[in-house]
Amino acid sequence: MSNAIEIRGLNWRPSKAFAIEELDITVPSGAIYGFLGPNGSGKTSTIRLLMGMAKPQGGCIQVLGGRVPDDLHTTLARTGYVPERPHVIPALTVDEAIRVHSAFFPSWDSGWASGMKKEFRLPADTRVGRLSKGETGKLLMLLALAQRPDLLVLDEPTDGLDPVVRRDVLTAVLDYVSEVGATVFISSHLVHELERFCDWVGVVDDGKIVAEMPMDTFKNEIKRIRVVGWPENRDGDFPFGLLGRRPSDGMVAGETWVVRGWQDQMTDFFTSAGATVREVTHLDLEEGFVELLTSARPEAWRGRNGDGPVRGEGDGYGTSGIPSEERGEG
Amino acid sequence: MFEDIDPRSPTPLWGQIAARVRVAVAAGELRPGEILPSVRELAKRLRVNPATVAQAYRELAREGFVEMRHGTGTFIKDVGEARKDLERRLRASDLVRRMLEDGARLGITGNELADAFQEEVGSKVHE
Repeated sequence: MSNAIEIRGLNWRPSKAFAIEELDITVPSGAIYGFLGPNGSGKTSTIRLLMGMAKPQGGCIQVLGGRVPDDLHTTLARTGYVPERPHVIPALTVDEAIRVHSAFFPSWDSGWASGMKKEFRLPADTRVGRLSKGETGKLLMLLALAQRPDLLVLDEPTDGLDPVVRRDVLTAVLDYVSEVGATVFISSHLVHELERFCDWVGVVDDGKIVAEMPMDTFKNEIKRIRVVGWPENRDGDFPFGLLGRRPSDGMVAGETWVVRGWQDQMTDFFTSAGATVREVTHLDLEEGFVELLTSARPEAWRGRNGDGPVRGEGDGYGTSGIPSEERGEG
Repeated sequence: MFEDIDPRSPTPLWGQIAARVRVAVAAGELRPGEILPSVRELAKRLRVNPATVAQAYRELAREGFVEMRHGTGTFIKDVGEARKDLERRLRASDLVRRMLEDGARLGITGNELADAFQEEVGSKVHE
């Protein structure tokens, strides 16, 4: 089986303010897939649908070859889940919480769990409700990993944790992946964190996927170029996808264009139009992410430079157009 | 040894790891027969995807810089002086290209850079 997660045409409208519409996601087996999106874009909603905790109005979800919700009993048994908010009973001690959790998973590895408990320095007899934020984050990761899952679904697993704990928790995930070769689906708005180890990226905004591709492609695809002397009123067929255009910032000459699918020889395209490309800037994941989202929201361009958005033909992106006031909680 | 691995660089991480090993071999920092950390160990240490480390090692094996012995580990091979020299020249070109790009962005010409380079090298020689 080549894909650990396949979501096709997913629709879910929990309220008037927010909807997941025609969402497609493909996570290849063995990938570490970074699921990026701003707050309220639908990350947690998607994950809850994936875990069978909400019922979609349409579309289909496959996890590890099984259908959700029909085969949930088998898909959940093989999926380690770290939810956005702790799902452990606060009155239990750490040891009790581990015992209760282990009862649900036949593949539970108690030796590994106690080793991890030591490494994470979790206090065995402290009630879960009295743990620090960092300790809670570590406990949740321990519970998800000790069940030896084939798939890890992590919803903002490091949100609000200090850098040292964040490092410990992510190292534990990477070590598990090295050992077992599991697939990881991880949502985060800490973009730099994902840049280090994700090999796939999906970007969601307003309940829609705006990009999904291997990390290396993502990082090489989107560039910022500075164009001098582009003839006014000349539009047409660009050999790349034009995500956005903004006028000179007044300090240096030339418009800034944000393009995807850029290749070096495309400077010829500008030369033939009598223009020159002054500078091609590589964007890291965070900058690419921001440019992608900005181009998907026409109002942001207008707000910035008093001009409408300009886009390449048929790139299939940036068609949302929902005013930001209507954006609801995801 | 891998402190300068930069996830934000346009060069993919596996390429950076492989390049770092090649440089270390060319500089004699890593000697034939020495063993590299296991994929799991290095992934953990660098907090990168294990697949990234595995890809770097495969690339190094394909180029003849290392030998992956099943079950025992990844060992540095003797690539010979000519290959080491070539590697050093390639790295030097990389550095100069990057310098020229940075210069172009700041409006500094190649000749100006060359002058500055001579001056720096000269002052080092006379120390």
